[in-house]
Amino acid sequence: MTVKPMPSPNSREILCQPQNMMCLHFSQRGYLNRRVANLYFLMISILSCTPVSPVSPITNVLPLSLVLLVSLIKEAWEDWKRFQNDMAINNTPVDVLLDQKWISVPWKKLQVGDIIRVKQDGFFPADLLFLASPNPDGVCYTETANLDGETNLKIRKALEKTWDYLTPERVSEFKGEVQCEQPNNSLYTFTGNLIIQNQTLPLSPNQILLRGCSLRNTEFIVGAVIFTGHETKVMMNAMKIPSKRSTLEKKLDKLILTLFCVLFCMCLLGAVGSGIFINRKYYYLQFSKNSDAQSNPDNRFAVAALTMFTLITLYSPIIPISLYVSVEMIKFIQSTQFINNDLHMYHFESNTPALARTSNLNEELGQVEYIFSDKTGTLTRNLMEFFKCSIGGEIYGTGISEIEIGTAQRNGMKVEVQKSSDATHEKGFNFDDARLMRGAWRNEPNPDLCKEFFRCLAICHTVLPEGEDSPEKIRYQAASPDEAALVTAAKNFGFFFFKRTPTTIYVHESHVERMGKVEDVPYEILNVLEFNSTRKRQSVVCRYSNGRLVLYCKGADTVIYERLADRDNELKRTSREHLEEFGAAGLRTLCLAYRDLSSEVYESWNEKYIQAKSSLRDREKKLDEVAELIEKELVLIGCTAIEDKLQEGVPTCIETLSKAGIKIWVLTGDKMETAINIAYACKLINNSMKQFIISSETDAVREVEDRGDQVELARFMKENVKNELKRCYEEALQYLRTGSETKLALVIDGKCLMYALDPSLRVMLLNLSLNCNAVVCCRVSPLQKAQVTSLVKKGAKRITLSIGDGANDVSMIQAAHVGVGISGQEGMQAVMASDFAIAQFRFLTDLLLVHGRWSYLRICKVVTYFFYKNLMFTLTQFWFTFHTGFSGQRFYDDWFQSLYNVIFTALPVIVLGIFEKDVSASLSKKYPELYKEGIRNTFFKWRVIAIWAFFAIYQSLVFYHFVTASSITGMNKAGKMFGLWDVSTMAFTCVVVTVNLRLLMMSNTITRWHHVTVGGSILAWFIFVFIYSGIVLPKDQENIYFVIYVLMSTIYFYLTLLLVPIAALFCDFIYQGAQRWFFPYDYQIVQEIHRHEPDASKVGLLEIGNQLTPDEARRYAIMQLPGEKSKHTGFAFDSPGYESFFASQAGVFVPQKAWDVARRASMKSRPKTSRKN
Amino acid sequence: MSSGEGSSQSSSKKSRQPKYSRFTQQELPACKPILTPGLVVTTFILVGVIFIPIGLLSLSASERVVEIVDRYDEDCIPSDQEKTAFIQSDKTNKTCVRSLTVPKKMQHPVYIYYQLDNFYQNHRRYVKSRSDKQLRNPENEDLTSPCEPEARVDNKPIVPCGLVAWSLFNDTYGFSVGGMNLSVNKKDIAWDSDKNYKFGSKVYPKNFQQGSLIGGGKLDEKIPLSEQEDLLVWMRTAALPSFRKLYGRIEQDLEANEMITVVIQNNYNAYAFGGKKKLVLSTTTWIGGKNSFLGLGYITIGGLCLFIATTFIVMYLIKPRPYGDPSYLSWNRNPPGN
Repeated sequence: MTVKPMPSPNSREILCQPQNMMCLHFSQRGYLNRRVANLYFLMISILSCTPVSPVSPITNVLPLSLVLLVSLIKEAWEDWKRFQNDMAINNTPVDVLLDQKWISVPWKKLQVGDIIRVKQDGFFPADLLFLASPNPDGVCYTETANLDGETNLKIRKALEKTWDYLTPERVSEFKGEVQCEQPNNSLYTFTGNLIIQNQTLPLSPNQILLRGCSLRNTEFIVGAVIFTGHETKVMMNAMKIPSKRSTLEKKLDKLILTLFCVLFCMCLLGAVGSGIFINRKYYYLQFSKNSDAQSNPDNRFAVAALTMFTLITLYSPIIPISLYVSVEMIKFIQSTQFINNDLHMYHFESNTPALARTSNLNEELGQVEYIFSDKTGTLTRNLMEFFKCSIGGEIYGTGISEIEIGTAQRNGMKVEVQKSSDATHEKGFNFDDARLMRGAWRNEPNPDLCKEFFRCLAICHTVLPEGEDSPEKIRYQAASPDEAALVTAAKNFGFFFFKRTPTTIYVHESHVERMGKVEDVPYEILNVLEFNSTRKRQSVVCRYSNGRLVLYCKGADTVIYERLADRDNELKRTSREHLEEFGAAGLRTLCLAYRDLSSEVYESWNEKYIQAKSSLRDREKKLDEVAELIEKELVLIGCTAIEDKLQEGVPTCIETLSKAGIKIWVLTGDKMETAINIAYACKLINNSMKQFIISSETDAVREVEDRGDQVELARFMKENVKNELKRCYEEALQYLRTGSETKLALVIDGKCLMYALDPSLRVMLLNLSLNCNAVVCCRVSPLQKAQVTSLVKKGAKRITLSIGDGANDVSMIQAAHVGVGISGQEGMQAVMASDFAIAQFRFLTDLLLVHGRWSYLRICKVVTYFFYKNLMFTLTQFWFTFHTGFSGQRFYDDWFQSLYNVIFTALPVIVLGIFEKDVSASLSKKYPELYKEGIRNTFFKWRVIAIWAFFAIYQSLVFYHFVTASSITGMNKAGKMFGLWDVSTMAFTCVVVTVNLRLLMMSNTITRWHHVTVGGSILAWFIFVFIYSGIVLPKDQENIYFVIYVLMSTIYFYLTLLLVPIAALFCDFIYQGAQRWFFPYDYQIVQEIHRHEPDASKVGLLEIGNQLTPDEARRYAIMQLPGEKSKHTGFAFDSPGYESFFASQAGVFVPQKAWDVARRASMKSRPKTSRKN
Repeated sequence: MSSGEGSSQSSSKKSRQPKYSRFTQQELPACKPILTPGLVVTTFILVGVIFIPIGLLSLSASERVVEIVDRYDEDCIPSDQEKTAFIQSDKTNKTCVRSLTVPKKMQHPVYIYYQLDNFYQNHRRYVKSRSDKQLRNPENEDLTSPCEPEARVDNKPIVPCGLVAWSLFNDTYGFSVGGMNLSVNKKDIAWDSDKNYKFGSKVYPKNFQQGSLIGGGKLDEKIPLSEQEDLLVWMRTAALPSFRKLYGRIEQDLEANEMITVVIQNNYNAYAFGGKKKLVLSTTTWIGGKNSFLGLGYITIGGLCLFIATTFIVMYLIKPRPYGDPSYLSWNRNPPGN
């Protein structure tokens, strides 16, 4: 057996090197940063080893290594865990065919071309070509939960030619060659050929078993290894880790850059000074031309240049070494300990806590100004329930949707919701109409159409039944909840689909011939024309047992209407009215149609179909084209309406968020009416708002559309959109100018958006939409979602957040600054692409207003504090330089200098970054406006930094001058004098005490950890200096020897220690007092309002989620049903795969998103029943 | 995030509800200090009230110190000669007589300091040019590497080596009042730690000032370093380019208006680099020598605090801000739309 990638003819043998596929590389975060930082520290370390260095190398290198060590240990630990995992996986045994026997070997020994056997529930060790299984028809079932989180089983089917290679004896006779594509990351596509016995057989994803999946419901399979190790599709996917950096961090880089400039200026100044200073007249320094270059007065330039390096080493603490490590640590704790563990964001029903998938973006959450939200599954529950239908021009279903209730309430009407007690209600079915239930439909005006309606529901789908065959116990595995709801509906109408084989669907039909009669009817499925986003429809060709050939089709109204036979116009008209009515009620609609086929028509078509199916190139496109040939002249049956309820707490959440100054945009694939209604229902839009609607569904557009000239249509549309935009924008400006309180809302549909996103109109669209409080984009493709997001992100330079649940939101999630995925009920694609995952939309309140705001506040404080303490420290050193003849003599002992950041001031700032909060969580939510401080970036403006810089300069002057000026005369009763090291140790003591006290001054919350660390840091300094000045070190100069004891024997020490820190903090205190008093921040007012309230906001939180209302209990029970976590493919309008489609249409290159491709292609992997070739 | 290939099976049953802890829910007990106007004013007044007395005490202590400062470098050199040549010459007579008047009674002990200005004892080249190992232990005589360029002479180690020792100050002072000599006590002028630990009692000067250039004072080779207190004082390098160093003590009261005659051996070359030399006689109090900086610092900060406190009170009276008034919230001050 040989495997050949198509372009290169050599077969390859690659060791299997399994690695964990989805581990998040924390080491990736700020990687570049750290590289620049490391480079800097390396440079400083090298400099400190040269004679120009004013400090000894060890003191400089050791703390640096300590800092690096901390991050290294973290990474090493993660690597170790990964390594152990790898080892375990690498050594898992698998059966390989050797000498006609199955021999167990570890995974890592696998080679391309090996034939292996995988038993039930085992994982596939590599990408395999599926050869045979003991199941009839050569099928096997796989679970792909590890790839995409989908728990429903997928069917794989081996090529018929290879079915009987089951026993070792048989398999060893197997000889063949595989030609296949190069390894790639597209999980659900595969093109290749198998050449056996001089026959070339096309291979499809259907014969490929991917590494990471597991075998289910199949005793064993035999397969040939195609890709191993890093070439497997899973591993090719694992390489891509989206990496985002927060805006604040980018600004931090600018700050660091500024500090570099300051450092350079300081050094330059000192260097010039040293060049001027050097003079032979200072004979006691013995400057002569025989001395080293730095002391050679004949070459002042060399002196200055070398002093430059000396000073760079000396002033290097101005760049905070430990800042990045500290911030990383703080963020890590924030995300792993706080966000992931917040009980407020734990969703009990789906048993899902919040998850921060990256800790890079915590503070970004505190600055979000625009939220782009998907509708289905994000604002709504995505629990699809069959709610209403229209058959043959008649509406059935008595329910009133939540949105209708909402609409009615807006119009001032009271709606009584009465539920008849006997109404059937199960998951996916919330329908009540006596005219249809229990066979009553036979008495309706159109019983035949009803029958077609139900059969269409029962036959035209890709659902897999699971479990027992009784109506009560069966479970449906469906690609989307819509689909499951439709099949469930058919079941309740008496058309119970209970069994699927690759070629047949069995339906348990009641009441068809006469009331009470029950029979099992098999339908032979001849072709399945699958759903995809271009087609927006799905068809099945089936043969009745009596030989009748029918094509059943269901899909979006627009595509179905285009393909209807030209008759029954009355029915079409009424059905369209019904569709609009359903749409207005916020329901998701689908049209059903059928077509009777003659066997000649079918046979001639089927040939083309088979041809298309076996083509190697553009198979999908060709299949679509062939499908087009038969999906025409359809007969309309009716339409279905499915309700998707709003998630709990969505309106409140949206209200809170908009109070917080966040603008929410809804981007949905739904129809305009549905979208507007949802927007009303969740309080995004209300009647007092001025709405601008830019729609392509106008008569004028339709007229041009009917003419059928695409070029003309495009031109007209563009003109139309441009005029509309201009009109709306002018009107909006009118409203703004008059200063009226009217809020504005913009509704735009996908087609118009396509033109509005044109570079020439983009600016106008942006200006208009930025002035609107709410924007609803309907009928948009995933690519457009991403485009709109980046329009605001890049055009308006505002911070954006995207939230969504499905694969169609992936591009939007990745485009925004922060991507949030809804987890717990949906597929994993959105979550996998996201930065944060929450279970419910309403948790955004906590995520943004509490965690985001606090993180922002904390990181700002930490960064500014670091900036301050290092600048101040370095400046004291700088002032000293002026008094040393610019020689670069250090003021502080080198150990003091290097341990300053690492020990004496390290921990309190981390505690600040972890515990600081201005107001409690409940107040954060009570006063959402506080969030605006983050949007305005109040705490990390250049102005704020300038204030800190001012205080740093002031304090450094106080430290240096107070201590030196007060120590020029006799220092004690015995008249003895201090030397340099006595003075500097005194100054350093003051610095350590002051810097730590300053931290307490800037804390709004002081826990006992603050006390411990601040006290501990000061204590650590004293302990250190006691020991350090008490022992003899193997150094040339023991400057600090006994210094602290000398110092502490004088009264001067204590007087200075009291005076200098207070004098230094004096200005800061005045500033803080005056600022609070005269220019208070909002949070300060809130603190004052609630100053007497104990922080008991969360008492009894433990009980939250355990007390369920009956309704919640029901929902919970539903959620707990196994196997029901089906995935949303956006059956009707909300579809994956748009992105690449639209992109290719527009000629834009869109990188293949793994999960997007997964999504699209996963539909292809569902039972596919082609006629045997 | 799912990790490992077998995680999917175990995930469904177990509750993933986070455990409650005060830490993870960010509910640690904490005090939340608010800088209320009252607190600000109280703090200022408190600091003022504590600081001013301390300042006054320190200041008065410093004021009680009697200090005589006499700059002699200019006057102790014949004005008609080239200064540097004069001071470097072996043949010139460098004796110089000065008379000082005692302004107030000086109680013994009266401390004698010499003060140098524009002398960079804190220059990097200077500070590092010493070997503490050599100073402590006679066995480390050869450890002179940091002492460049004054490490060795004729390849023999210099003890004590380095620029610091080499440039030892060597002016001497003799005092007399009314013809009667005042004895100068030169014991105990260095810190005990220097004497006992940093400088060895068995280390004797060797090859000192034997080179072609003589930087300053010479040392008696029979006396161990720990006893050479002038050297000890000199080698505790000063922080600033202008510094005082203790020379000795006069163990006798000096009465007001007494004339003291000082005989100075003006040996040290401060002329080359334009430095000043001063002789200082000073008494001490508990705070040390005459330095009003600390006292003034305390009084200034204390005074400023009281002043600021008053200002705050006045400003509060002029422009009061109701405490915790919701109308001061920014969104209430500027209703949206304006």
